Order: sequence, then structure tokens, then C-alpha cells
Amino acid sequence: MSKSVTSVTEESAYGYGIPLFDTRVNLYQGGVLAVLLVSLVTVPVWAPPWAYLFALANIWAIFAASWDIISGHTNYISFGHSFISGAAAYTTALLTFNVNPDMAIYITFPLSVIVAVVAALVFALPSLRLSGPYFSLLTFVSVLVATKAVFIFSTYTNGEMGISTVSVLTFDTTMLFYYTLVPAVIITGALLYISRSNVGKVLKAIGQNEAAVEAAGLDTTRFKLWGFVYSAIPMGIGGALLAHFYGNVEPIAFLIVDRSIEIIAIAAVGGMGTILGPAGAAYLFLFLRDEVFKAFLGPNARWVAIWSVVLVLLVLSPQGVLKRLWTFLGNLGGDSS
Amino acid sequence: MVNPATILVTGAMVGSLYVLIAIGFSLIYGVRGVINLAHGAFIMLGAFAYLVAGGQVSGVAAFVIAILFVGLFAVGLYLGLVRYIEHNVVITFLATVVVALIIQQLLTLEYSLAPRSLEPIVSGGIAFAGTRVRYYQLIAFALSWVALGLLFLFVRRTTLGRNILATSMTEKGAKLAGTNVLYVNVATWFVAGAFAGFAGVFIGTLQSTSPTMWINPLGLAFIIVTIGGVGSIKGSIIAAYLIGFLETMTVTFVGPAWRGMFALLLLVVIILAKPEGLFGREFIE
Amino acid sequence: MTSADTPLEVENLRKEFGGLVAVDDLSFEVNSNEILGFIGPNGAGKSTVFNCIMGVLSPTDGSVYLHSDEITGQDTHETVNQGLARVSQESNPFEEMTVEDNIRIFAVSNSPFAFSSNDDEEVIRSLARRMGLEDELGTLPDSLPHAGRRRLEIAKALATEPDILLLDEPFAGMNQAEIRDLSEEIRGFRDEGITLVVVDHNMRGLMQLVDRVIVLNEGRKLADGTPEEVADDERVQSAYLAGEV
Repeated sequence: MSKSVTSVTEESAYGYGIPLFDTRVNLYQGGVLAVLLVSLVTVPVWAPPWAYLFALANIWAIFAASWDIISGHTNYISFGHSFISGAAAYTTALLTFNVNPDMAIYITFPLSVIVAVVAALVFALPSLRLSGPYFSLLTFVSVLVATKAVFIFSTYTNGEMGISTVSVLTFDTTMLFYYTLVPAVIITGALLYISRSNVGKVLKAIGQNEAAVEAAGLDTTRFKLWGFVYSAIPMGIGGALLAHFYGNVEPIAFLIVDRSIEIIAIAAVGGMGTILGPAGAAYLFLFLRDEVFKAFLGPNARWVAIWSVVLVLLVLSPQGVLKRLWTFLGNLGGDSS
Repeated sequence: MVNPATILVTGAMVGSLYVLIAIGFSLIYGVRGVINLAHGAFIMLGAFAYLVAGGQVSGVAAFVIAILFVGLFAVGLYLGLVRYIEHNVVITFLATVVVALIIQQLLTLEYSLAPRSLEPIVSGGIAFAGTRVRYYQLIAFALSWVALGLLFLFVRRTTLGRNILATSMTEKGAKLAGTNVLYVNVATWFVAGAFAGFAGVFIGTLQSTSPTMWINPLGLAFIIVTIGGVGSIKGSIIAAYLIGFLETMTVTFVGPAWRGMFALLLLVVIILAKPEGLFGREFIE
Repeated sequence: MTSADTPLEVENLRKEFGGLVAVDDLSFEVNSNEILGFIGPNGAGKSTVFNCIMGVLSPTDGSVYLHSDEITGQDTHETVNQGLARVSQESNPFEEMTVEDNIRIFAVSNSPFAFSSNDDEEVIRSLARRMGLEDELGTLPDSLPHAGRRRLEIAKALATEPDILLLDEPFAGMNQAEIRDLSEEIRGFRDEGITLVVVDHNMRGLMQLVDRVIVLNEGRKLADGTPEEVADDERVQSAYLAGEV
């Protein structure tokens, strides 16, 4: 990876400080990021009761970042990402339920990821030639169809109850946290690299003005398709991980359109197009959902509070709350931004 | 042997319901270019409003209340939220679907997830064309055409209606012609909400009512409007009946589980062959 | 069909919009390494012709050939990759990206696996220097003055390494000095071997610049010759009414 300087002059739109993936991060941003990372990595040390929650959040960070690399960049809003991760999860589940309960994870896992990529291409291929709303529609409907299919074929999928023959990663919450943290960090790092690279910039350009990208000699359909693949691989990994996390795969936790909307809400609140924003927002969202709001309002009423907060944030801060915070920290350095 | 008349009649009943589901969505999308993902929730509110009102007043009154309620609710949503964000397509998308989820959760808290059937105004039915048709379905069918006729008259004959049409073609042009765009928007949302409420009452009665019932009609509305062509009411009507008939045939010959799948397949075909829909037209902005 | 001498050929091009005929049986050639002027009053159909050539619109009939290959109706990006680039009339930058990234999008290769490239960085830098934008690389397009935005458009088109460059009303909004400078730069492009087509709605800026002029009126070719021939042509004069071409 070439370590290029973003600008000939010292002061650039990105600020002073340490080069990071072709961006400059100033001392405040770097500092806050470092503190957060260290806190995250040591969660089982200073907050062991929350290890399970943060382990789950690791997986949702993967989902949010994966959604972001395609939809957050190109503005083709996919409502179908739960279909992709769900396809991976159900592959693992179907294999253990219908074929061999002891099937090795090193077989089911890669197969699940491959199925996830295929699933993504199935709805991406016909719809990416079209403009935004039609694309979103197809993705929305594909989740509905997949959910219906689970019920139609319930002899294989065990319908609403779900399949519980999936092996659990571990019952030790600390190990669980680290088993999910490592993929989360690696995937977020990889997606961040893609985002900052020329390819990521093309995807972002598509989101701003697709016709101009065509005029630049770039095959936008091909870029969008590969963006989908770059998104689907980690979605598949996350989906399979989630299956082994719960040990149980059923429509409510994996597939229904509510889960897709959660992913989108997390990414939008974090800041579409930033990878780190959506990943960070996942932790925030899950913490609010499963700790704070659950404690104050109970498992049912908390949803009203969550969605209301999301709505307020979407309207007041459409760029994303975490992105705003990041820009604020960037401005503290006292340079142009 | 399957009686073709049965398919015709059942298809028409289904089609009339689908028209009601799609019209409100089509109006807002076609006129304002706004994709209102809370549309399914409007339909749901119609069903629940009818449920609540039906406990207090007679069936017909409850029906009217439900329609007015949703119409006003739609206006409220527009004035309170959508008009501030409608320039940003992505945020509107997300915000309206979150609104739908909030409504879902509120209704779940109040009424639980268990589906329930609403009492129709008129019960019973007649044997007709080889199948039993409920009076309520016939009423829905007839009323849907009455409503469409009224809509047609409204759009063609009244000033406000013509303004809505003009604004749908070009907002700048309409503004130059002196149209009060805010007023037009409010009227559009009211009519869209009213149709949704109308649809909700009948769906809630003929099918079932539950806090998750907003998802399928939303998908269906989107599909119908896409197939029919954005901005074309006529297209939505034709697409709705087309889907109604073809879906009825699929269910009859293949099986009831495949009902929802069919509309999707048709959608994929249309999107690939003629993405602007059967009767779509360009927007001039 | 085309010899090496005429890298761009348009044959019997026709474009209808519903009942309206915007371009009517238009045929012309662009000679290698010339500066061709393409003029016509507003509404003559110039934009439509070039939209058809670039693949933004599909012609109703007719063909376009680039380096002897037929390119009629193909995707814009393919045409650009085969060496034909356009600088649009309206500046169309990616408003949320820096000037540098704007040029970058046009410089990078057409591959979803090309994550980074030192060559691209070099190209971006040298183009920016050439178009006088190297001090503005880190800024957003909307903080550039009008002339700067136009120079950015040219830099972007050059980044695609074109053999043929279409300039759509490049002098619009410029003062005399800016027009002179841009004309110099256009001659410079020609010296580097690029073939140029300059579109404008009248001859004033083009007299000294172009080798040849094609006049379009109501979708049809009205004249084709040297600037002097065309300026003297009565039909052209009456098409422009005031007689001042």
C-alpha cells in the first residue's frame, strides 16, 4: 500500500497529525480512538458482566461496517443485508440439522460464507442496473421472500422455532468476547482499507454522481457488484459467527426485515461512509438496547425508546452522530476542515 | 375442474383490495417523489382505528372515523417530519421506516402481537360463480371503484386536484403558476392517508389485524407502483388487478403458500424488461 | 470505415424525442489532430449530438465510429476508455470530495481491485500542476472560482488520457484574458497530438482557434469549411439572423 501524502501543502482538508490509511488523524481524534480501542479490548477486565453484550456487539459491528462499504458509500440503500447474513446462518444451521449434526466448523463456515456471497449476488445482479429506490425495493422484498421461504420449507428449517443443533462457540463469556473481537477488528480494518483506497473513493463517487463516474471511464455496474462482494463476505462471516454465538438460528434474530433496519439505523447514526462510525455505533446501539433501555423500560417498551432516539438522530444529524463527533475533534486541532 | 368464473371473481376481489393498498403510496411517490415507507403503517392504523372506534360507535361510523383518522395522521406526519427531510431521499427512506417501527412497537405494547379479526359491517355472503363471496368483499370492491371515481373527478375537475397534477409534473413550474405548494402537499398526504385507512379497514376485516401487518402491504404497494409505473394512477390500478388475477391463478393451480412470491417474480421480470413500469413517465424537475 | 486520418466519424445520426426530431441525418468526420469548431444557435441540437456520441443518449438511427470501431449506443465508460473524453458545459465535480480526489476518480483504472497506485498519484499531481490547481488540491470544488472549476473539468478529462477531447462551450462565463489563455492551452493540447472538437454557439471565440467549422441548425448540417468560408456563407448568416456569426 503506497503511503501517499494527501496534499502537497502542509494544511490539508484532513488535518495535521499521524497518517492513517491516507488520511491524517489529529491528536484529539487519535487519542480518543486509542482510548476507546483499549477500553474495548479490555472489556472483560473492567466490566465482566458486559462481556456477553460486547461480544454480540462485535458481530453487529461487523454487520454495520459491511453494510457501510456498499450502501453507506454508494447510497444504494440495501434493506436486504439480513438476507445475506441470514443465508450464511441458515446454511450452517441447515447443514447441522439436515445433514450431519457433527459437521466440522471448518466445512460449514466457509460454505456459509460462499452461500452468503451467492445470495448477495442473486439480488444484486438484477437490481444494480437500476436506480436507488428500485434497488432498495428489491432488497426489501427479498427479505420478505426469504422469511416466507423459511416458513414454507419448515420441515427443513424448523420454521419459527429455529434450529438449535448449531454448536456454540463457547460458554465462557470472556473467550466468547475475544473470539468475536478478533474477526471484528480484522474485518473493520480490511473494510477501512478498502474504503480509503481508490476503490472506496470510486464507490463514494458513485454515491454522489454516478453519471460522472461513468464519464470517468469506470464501469459503475462492475464496481457496485464488487462492492457487494466486499460487503457480502464479512456479512457471511458475521452471520455464521452469530449462528455459533447463539447456538440457535431462527427468523426473528437473523432474518426478519427488522434486523436489516437495525443495521441501517446503526450505520446511519454512526455516519454512512466512514466504516468506523457504523462499527462504533453498533456498540452504542447494543448497549442502549440491551442494557440501558431494557433496564428502564423492559424488553418490550424499550423498542419505542430506541427507535425514537434513532429517528431524532437521523433528522437532526443526518451525517451521523459519531461522524459529527469525529469532525468536532478534528476541528479542535485548530486547522481547516 | 376449476371454474374460470371463480378465478375471475376472486381475482377481482383481490385486485380491488390491492388497488386500495397501492393508491396512497402511488400518490405520494408519483406526486411528490417521496417514498413513504410508513405507508404500510398507515394501512395498519386504519385497521386499528376501526377496531377502537368499532367498540364505541356503529360499523359505518367507525369506518368513516378510521379513514379520517389516518388521513389526518398522514398530514401530521408530513407537517411534523417529512416536509423537513423530503429533499434527502435516503433520510426520508430511513425516517419513515423508523416511524413505522415505532408505530408497530406502540401497538404491540397496547394490543399484543396476537392477530385478531375485525367485525365486518355486514356479515355473510352469497354463492356466486362457483365460490362463496362475502358481502363485505363485494362492498369493498364496489366502494373501491366509487373512491377511484371520486379521485378521478377530484383530480380532473377541481382546482386543487389539477394543482396536484401540475405539481407532480414540475414543482418549479407549479410554483411559478402561483400554486401554494404546501397546501397541495397537505391535500395529497390527506388523500393518500385516507385511501390507506380505507384499505386498512378491509384488510383488517378480510384478513387479520396485528402490529406486524404493515410490512406485507408496504412491499405490495411498492411492487404495484413499480410495475404500474411511477406517477401513473392508471398504471397502479392496472398493475393491482393484474397481480390480483395472476396471483389468484397461481394460488389455485400451484398452492396457497406461494401467494406472496408471485408478485415478486412479476416485479423482477418487469424491472428487467421495462424498468419505468408499464405506464411510467419521466419527471421534469 | 475510418482511416487513421479520421478518428471520429458520425454517420446518418438521427435522434427523436417523441415527435420531436432533434438531430436529423447528420454525418461528419473529425480529422486527426485538428481543432474542429462545432457551432450552432441555441437549440440547434449540439448537446444532443454529443450526448449520442458519448453514449448518454441512444441514437434513434445512425452510427458513430471511434478509431474504426463502432461505438454507437455503448456505455459511456467504454467510449471514454477507448480514448474519447468530454468536458461538459456545466461543471460537474463531486462536490463532497477534494479537488485531488476529483481528479483521482478520473485517473484510476477501471478495476475494482486496483486499491492504490503510485502512478495514479503522479498523474494527479502533474495534471494539477499543469492546470494550475496544485495549491487547491486539498480544497472542495465549491471554494474554487468559476474559472478554477472549469480548469478542474479539463483536468478530469485529461486524466482519462484521451486521443480526442470534446470541449462543450468552454469559454462560457470567461473574460477576454481567460479566453486567450484557454485558447493557448487548447493549442497546446493539439501540439501533444490530441484531436479537439470545440462546441460553441457562435464563432467569435473560435475564429482564430479552429482549423475547420461545422455549422448545425435545427438538427441538420448547414455548412462545413474554414472559418472564413463559413463566416461568409449566407445561409449561416441568416440562421443567426443578425448576420453576425
